[in-house]
Amino acid sequence: MNFEAVIGLEIHVEMKTRSKMFSSSPNSFTRFPNTEVTCFDMAYPGTMPRVNKAAVINAIRVANALHMTIDPLVRFDRKNYFYADLPKGFQITQQFHPIGREGYLEIKGRDGELKRIGIERIHMEEDTCKQLHFASYSLLDYNRAGVPLIEIVSHPEMRNGTEAMRYVEAIRNIVLFSGTSDGKMEEGSLRCDVNVSLRPYGTKKFGTKVEIKNLNSTKNIESALDYEILRQSAILLSGGKVQQETRRYDEASGKTVLMRVKTDAVDYKYFPEPNITPIRLSPEFVQNAIDTCPELYDSKKARYVALGLSEVDADILLSSLAMAKYFEEASIGGKFAKTVANFLISDVNAYLNKNGISIEEFPLKPAYLNELAGLQEDGFTHKQVMQALNYLLENQDVNPKGALEALHIEKQSNDDGLVLAFVNDVLAANPQSIADFKAGKDRALGFLVGQVMKAAKGKVNPSAVSKVMLEELKKR
Amino acid sequence: MKEINLDVLHDAAHRLLFDMSEEEYATLLQEFDVLTKQMETIGRIEGLENFEPMTFPFDCTTTYLREDEPSVPLDRDLALSNAGSVQDHQIKLPKVVG
Amino acid sequence: MNYLDLSIADIHAALVAKKVTPLELTKEALKRAHESKDNAFEMILDDEAIAFASSLGEPEEDNLLWGIPYLAKDNFSTKGLPTTASSNVLNGYKPLFDAHVIDVLKQKKAVLIGKTTLDELAMGGTGTTGHLGITYNPYDPKHERMMGGSSCGSAAAVAAGIVPFALGSDTGDSVRKPASYGGVIGVKPTWGRISRYGLFPFAPSLDHVGFFTRYVSDAALLCDVLSGRDEMDSTSSEKPVPHCLEKLSEEKKPTFAVLSDIVDSIHDETILSSFRALCQKLEEQGCKVTYVPFGKEALESIYATYIVISCAEATSNDANLDGIKFGPYYEGKTYQEVMFNARTKGFSELIKRRFVIGSFCLMAENQDVLFLRAQRNRAKIVAKTNEILKDVDFILVPAAPSIAPKLGQSSDKLSDEYLIADNHLALGNFAGLPSVTLPLGYEEGMPFGVNLMGRAFEEEELFQACRLVSDSTGLEGSYYGKEDK
Repeated sequence: MNFEAVIGLEIHVEMKTRSKMFSSSPNSFTRFPNTEVTCFDMAYPGTMPRVNKAAVINAIRVANALHMTIDPLVRFDRKNYFYADLPKGFQITQQFHPIGREGYLEIKGRDGELKRIGIERIHMEEDTCKQLHFASYSLLDYNRAGVPLIEIVSHPEMRNGTEAMRYVEAIRNIVLFSGTSDGKMEEGSLRCDVNVSLRPYGTKKFGTKVEIKNLNSTKNIESALDYEILRQSAILLSGGKVQQETRRYDEASGKTVLMRVKTDAVDYKYFPEPNITPIRLSPEFVQNAIDTCPELYDSKKARYVALGLSEVDADILLSSLAMAKYFEEASIGGKFAKTVANFLISDVNAYLNKNGISIEEFPLKPAYLNELAGLQEDGFTHKQVMQALNYLLENQDVNPKGALEALHIEKQSNDDGLVLAFVNDVLAANPQSIADFKAGKDRALGFLVGQVMKAAKGKVNPSAVSKVMLEELKKR
Repeated sequence: MKEINLDVLHDAAHRLLFDMSEEEYATLLQEFDVLTKQMETIGRIEGLENFEPMTFPFDCTTTYLREDEPSVPLDRDLALSNAGSVQDHQIKLPKVVG
Repeated sequence: MNYLDLSIADIHAALVAKKVTPLELTKEALKRAHESKDNAFEMILDDEAIAFASSLGEPEEDNLLWGIPYLAKDNFSTKGLPTTASSNVLNGYKPLFDAHVIDVLKQKKAVLIGKTTLDELAMGGTGTTGHLGITYNPYDPKHERMMGGSSCGSAAAVAAGIVPFALGSDTGDSVRKPASYGGVIGVKPTWGRISRYGLFPFAPSLDHVGFFTRYVSDAALLCDVLSGRDEMDSTSSEKPVPHCLEKLSEEKKPTFAVLSDIVDSIHDETILSSFRALCQKLEEQGCKVTYVPFGKEALESIYATYIVISCAEATSNDANLDGIKFGPYYEGKTYQEVMFNARTKGFSELIKRRFVIGSFCLMAENQDVLFLRAQRNRAKIVAKTNEILKDVDFILVPAAPSIAPKLGQSSDKLSDEYLIADNHLALGNFAGLPSVTLPLGYEEGMPFGVNLMGRAFEEEELFQACRLVSDSTGLEGSYYGKEDK
């Protein structure tokens, strides 16, 4: 029997607003415990929640990016349970009226085909406090208590680990590029709970669901699911039953490990939060939140491709917000975009790796990179331009033209007449190479171009020389 | 509705993280008897289903949202000054498992 | 006669004329507080009050509350001063901030002379369940009768003439019922009028900041001063603050609806005849008084509806009381044990029963027939109340069916007796309407009151009606033992 995996994801994203969800405590992710706390975060009696405008704007932007229907009447509810990390004994969330309902995201499936994943809801809520566990005790840090969260719940429409991974990547790109969150899975600002069950192909009924936690990278999501699907399928094939349980992913072994068997579902005793009256968002407010949303990944990518970049190159530049920002500043108005992209992807990245720094720390002004790209497109060789680039990195008070002067670099000629004269001289002197070329020996072309460069003492542009050389060879 | 008996009440109290004396559970059982009967009577009120459950006494819909401006946080020792178990500027509890 | 016995406006005139100083007033109030034998205080703030009164300098002519001593129920957060809501679960808790109303009164330079007792966590109506024990009714020196609650200490203190006014809170009738038993004015304005920031929540959808006074003008003044939008309480109204005091003397001939089923259920002849006499006087002054039925079924449903909604909200609000962040900490092997110990030892048995009831009402499988049903019934009752107030200006009813009951006669156990005249004040909480109890008369030396309820945010009109009622009864300014002082 063959099984189909049914995968649904719940993603929690910590928003990087300046203050918390319901209190004005700073939200800067400091490492000093309990230094970003006000009375509300510690549930002091008589404190009351005050909804953060920026959090609502973020939620609207993400909901819109996920093609969701936005509820213009914002309401909150209480989720009641006791836990060491829950100061109030309840969490304020949006159980009954999430800000966004029924949307979708398009991702590439394993076969490369576009696949639409339905999204059930997006809602706002508050984070719990952070626990530090030691051998015999735990310490509570309330800095995280009340940090704004959005939770995004997918429909169970993914079928393998790759789809789940791509779904999470797409969500991460949305929250990252909309400025909602830094979306770092490894640091917990994007957290992912995965539910997976198996059913025989062609059946509709869901199998027993297993939850997987502790997934701290998109790659782990893929690996964990691929493992888990095999595990469940082996159980079912041997006639066993999958147990309803929570598992965690063990990165070292590449396996999922049992955390706890699920007993009956917890009753959270939800009811509407009586300390927050309904908040009416005007159509203008919602539209403005959408209109002022920073440009998202997909739109940027489409724009980069329209500038002549390959999809792969566009993805590389968009792998970080800072790299995309640098690229856009260095290719203002699309000028020399492809060359700028090439510089960034190969030369600049190599420099960053070598020096162990990020693009934010790259000392060259984006405008200078643009000028350098312009120089290359104007006929300076890549080697020449890179010499100038290196000079600029070491001499911050110089501009690209100044770098060329300092290095005594001169442009190679594109003058067709001049190039043609050199080409004809070389061809006349090397009949054997012409014969070799005609016989299909491609390296003869390289040799001939080299001869020209030598004769011209490097003052002609090698690409112009190749072009003219090819034309002349065809004539003979 | 869930059937109410002493076991259910014990369980409900324990889930609220406290215990009561046995007499109190007995009193509570009587109180539930009164309350559920009265709520059943209310359930028979004509036209009750035409009313939406009310949380706020009247329409108090607002447009207010707090500006995202951080305020000065509490001094951390002050913030923890009411806590009975503190270590390294944090609240200390027996090890929290699971 | 003492200046402390006058209305706030008259005390103010004396302060401005320097016939008396804030320190003298404060010392007199403190003296009376210490003389009180009614167990009305969680804490008397001798040093703080005297220091504050001494620091006040020149009288502020445009600030009627300047130098006026007052008391606050101990469920208002007071920065640096222990606030327990009369519950052991909060023993030793020192809030880090002032409640909005405490802050406003501090800015007005009123002098807080103490914190008053309440039914534990404001969940009760007898004034007997606080951690310091029973608060007694000053009108009954033999201590046989209750004060009523939950704002028992504040009611007792104003009824004993200790201060011109005291803050309370009202979730079902916790200001207006003890006001009736104590022969003082008890006010709860419209829900959202006064910020609840810093008031320990019982059931936020029903909770109101309220206050006790002896004079209508004092009540109007306090309503003006305490009202207004406060961004720390998102539910506080953005409506402009009323000018109740300024408009108090405007002549009006309002219409009143007497809820006939409530009056019919009262058997106390003294109360009934005083009530009828009041209605007659109002009519003689040109007001129209009509008897309208509310519906027995609806009135009988108030108590269960109130219990379900208030207990459900309370069990959630008080889930923060776990001994971890504040309140007595108890050791335990696990964090659950730590919380379990704090809550088991910290709450009285009544409170725990209320929490179990509330939590049960919220369980997924019970919500439909308990919590949501109660919320639907609340909506229906509110619709009926507002319908009555479409045709008439005010609802007028005896505040309670009797004088203060004897202790032990009434308990906080749920009973299957329908006491509709004992529970109707919750209408004002269900609908969030402004509501005032005023003294109506005495029986066996014990006071009883009358209650007025108006339309939402129409406090100005309500206090004008209070003026009419108060002039008719002639009981303004009275308190127990006034003649002896």
